[in-house]
Amino acid sequence: MKFVLTIITTLSLLISSLLANEVNVFSSRHYDTDIQLYEKFTNQTGIKVNIISGEDAALQKRIIEEGADSKADIYITSDAGRLGLFDAKGMFQNSMSPLIIDKVPENYRSENWTGISKRARIIFYSKDRVKNNEIENLNYEDLSNFKWKNRIAIRQSNSIYNQSLVASLISNNGIEKTKTWTEGFVKNFSRTPKGNDRAQILAVASGEADIAIANTYYYALMLSGQKGKDQQEAARNVTPFYPNQGNRGTHMNISGAGILKNSKNKENAIIFLEFLLSKESQDHIVKNTFEYPIIKDFDSYELITNMNLEISFKEDLLTPVGDFAKYQPDALRIMLQSGWK
Amino acid sequence: MIARINIWYLSSFLISLIVAIPIIMIFSSFFETTSEYSLVLKETFLSEYVINSLTLLIGVLILTSIIGIGCAYLVSFYNFFGANFFKWALILSFAVPAYIYSYSLGAFFDNYGTAYSILNSLSGNIISNSTIPKLDGMFGAILAISFSIFGYVYVLTRTSFHYQSQNLIDLGKNLGFSKKKTFFKIILPAARPSIVAGLSLVAMETLSDFGSVSFFGISTLTTGIYNAWVTFDDLTLANRLSFYLLMFIFLLFIIENLSRKKAQYHTLSKSGFKTKTKINLKGYKSILAFSICFLVFFVSFLFPVIQMSYWTFLFPKHFFDLNLIDLLSNTLILVILSCSLLIALSFISNYGNRITKSKLLQSLTTFSISGYAMPGIILAVAYISFISFLDKNIFIFENYNIKSFFIGSIFGLVIVYIVRFYSLANNGIKSGYLKINYSIDESAYLLGYSKIKTFKNIHLPYLKNSIFLVIILLLIEIIKELPITLIMRPFNFDTFATIAYTYASQDLLEAAAAPAIILILISSAFILLTSKYILNEQS
Repeated sequence: MKFVLTIITTLSLLISSLLANEVNVFSSRHYDTDIQLYEKFTNQTGIKVNIISGEDAALQKRIIEEGADSKADIYITSDAGRLGLFDAKGMFQNSMSPLIIDKVPENYRSENWTGISKRARIIFYSKDRVKNNEIENLNYEDLSNFKWKNRIAIRQSNSIYNQSLVASLISNNGIEKTKTWTEGFVKNFSRTPKGNDRAQILAVASGEADIAIANTYYYALMLSGQKGKDQQEAARNVTPFYPNQGNRGTHMNISGAGILKNSKNKENAIIFLEFLLSKESQDHIVKNTFEYPIIKDFDSYELITNMNLEISFKEDLLTPVGDFAKYQPDALRIMLQSGWK
Repeated sequence: MIARINIWYLSSFLISLIVAIPIIMIFSSFFETTSEYSLVLKETFLSEYVINSLTLLIGVLILTSIIGIGCAYLVSFYNFFGANFFKWALILSFAVPAYIYSYSLGAFFDNYGTAYSILNSLSGNIISNSTIPKLDGMFGAILAISFSIFGYVYVLTRTSFHYQSQNLIDLGKNLGFSKKKTFFKIILPAARPSIVAGLSLVAMETLSDFGSVSFFGISTLTTGIYNAWVTFDDLTLANRLSFYLLMFIFLLFIIENLSRKKAQYHTLSKSGFKTKTKINLKGYKSILAFSICFLVFFVSFLFPVIQMSYWTFLFPKHFFDLNLIDLLSNTLILVILSCSLLIALSFISNYGNRITKSKLLQSLTTFSISGYAMPGIILAVAYISFISFLDKNIFIFENYNIKSFFIGSIFGLVIVYIVRFYSLANNGIKSGYLKINYSIDESAYLLGYSKIKTFKNIHLPYLKNSIFLVIILLLIEIIKELPITLIMRPFNFDTFATIAYTYASQDLLEAAAAPAIILILISSAFILLTSKYILNEQS
């Protein structure tokens, strides 16, 4: 056994010394267009990017159990709450270079992780069935009002995006008020929650609901024609609306990354993060996944305007995205208790 | 007792123990504390989750029985146009994983889906979404799971029907039974053990399903497991819930075992076997039989294949983006390694059980094969926790790192496959062994054959069919396996299943179609190549 282990150790040392110039990424954000971006990175820097993609909880568990022996350098995921929760377990190290601090607005980073793209969770409505005076100045908080009875489509409570949205409400309004809100809100559902965010927007287009709550990029994906002509047409019949413009702003979430505590390639990992925040990369992300760029002063907004989405809306920069992690368990609890399937 | 403890006993004991380790790890959750989620779950949706799991299970069992037994009956007892084609074509449904079937159903029937597009381009935009039936939710999940795994019931029942003697049917005739009565009173009860065996495999797959259930958004016990772990960070509770699931499946095992004991009355002696004469169907009856079989073949195989091909042709870029050589070689490595190890281990274990006849060993084997009934992800996580535990407490070498050897390596991946699929391999080989009479072994020993030689010269030739069947089942399972591969794999290692998942999870089912269709084609090719072994018509 010892002999076999010696051979294996020697071999793996040999191989890893040959490929030392690398960065190992664990990612639960799996866009194949991200892979193209990583190839660009390798071409520019000579640093190879190794990837394992998978489900959040499983990847986190693997990193935790691998402990000091883990080969992972960077963890990428597409929810601020999940980043925060992993950070709270002490899995990240301080990785914020001056460049990152300079580029990313304070609300979208912590000492140990940074956003790499952002998305707004907004309302999509039918102009035929929702009156102007109903939608004007609408806040998430208003959606528990009985006038929306049988009119709202939203996905299930186990969706992390919904959990983060409700967590942000808890952060602003407290648990008791939010619980009253979810109870009223659930009564307004036009159907039992099912499908992903795109299915909610299509429910409005097909008349199953008057308003839907969904992330912006799902809408852009349909408008882009990648889902076929019929869905492109359907999306055109639905109008995006950004809630809470009169107060704290629209709920935002991020895709983010952090350098792991046991990273063996910290320098490469920082170079990699900085690359993701370059204008070139941000442009690539916006063009391919239709998310909003995370860096300040980014001018490649054409695509988003072509996609019928707004640029100059008021983002909720007051609620720290780090709070999502704190309140997600409470959020799911009150969602379940209110009968949100 | 001590005399029985030899190398065979020890090795089969060891194999069963290793396979049982993750299950023991999961059981250990009962000694840990859980979060408040267990209370939340109890006061909110627990009863609904249980009811949904049961509804799903019963729905799938009923549908797979009707389709599986019905088709097996038609092709075994009647001659009609296409009967010989359907005999093997119906097995092809095995090649379509339930999650890919779900994608197809969703893509076709959803708002603005394929059905909407087709109908509107034919009719000139007069069809609205509300007129298209929505095959989703519980109904969709039952359909998807049933049509992708009814093959278990079909294959086993058909084999049993195939070997039913004409004498039995004549008996019915002599008693003046109608065809219907002969079927329900004689044919069906005689095939009962095979049907139950098929249904118990169906039950295990249904209860451990994650993919279809989450795609259709129905909340079953697996939803509870997922929420406990992911949002409440409570792996302990997730493990406990999985264990309850396992207990339930054990109950099914016991029922199956009891029914198998009865089945011994029905085993037939070769001497009394009289080949059946199939009844020729004419006219509308022939058309009806053809239509039923074609409908099942269409819904179970052609429909998902056409939907996936349609997308692949519509978006060919995704097909050309695939690195076919890498994906094929990755798949082959996994299949070859896992199959050879699993078959070797099952042989040792079965042979050990056979020559020692130890009750303890038999119960340990039964326990260890229940890994098949666990959600793959829970099994993989238990394995990772176990390796980490070993590393911390037992193998403390300064310079050796057992974790990087067992986690994130092909080797580690194959070990978890072994745990998950051991029951398939073990049961397959076991059913082959059951056909070899003990007296044959004894005669061999009397002739001075060693145990190895008995195994090689006498058992192996007998077991050829079983081995083929096991290989093909494992191959299909491994090609489509998803949760274990995702978490256990090394860097930059993809299979057709992981690529399909990656696309599907970013809401690009169109792109998932290309890897999905290749996955289906590879499995289909292997099924066709070995169909005569699957149909068990060798002798």
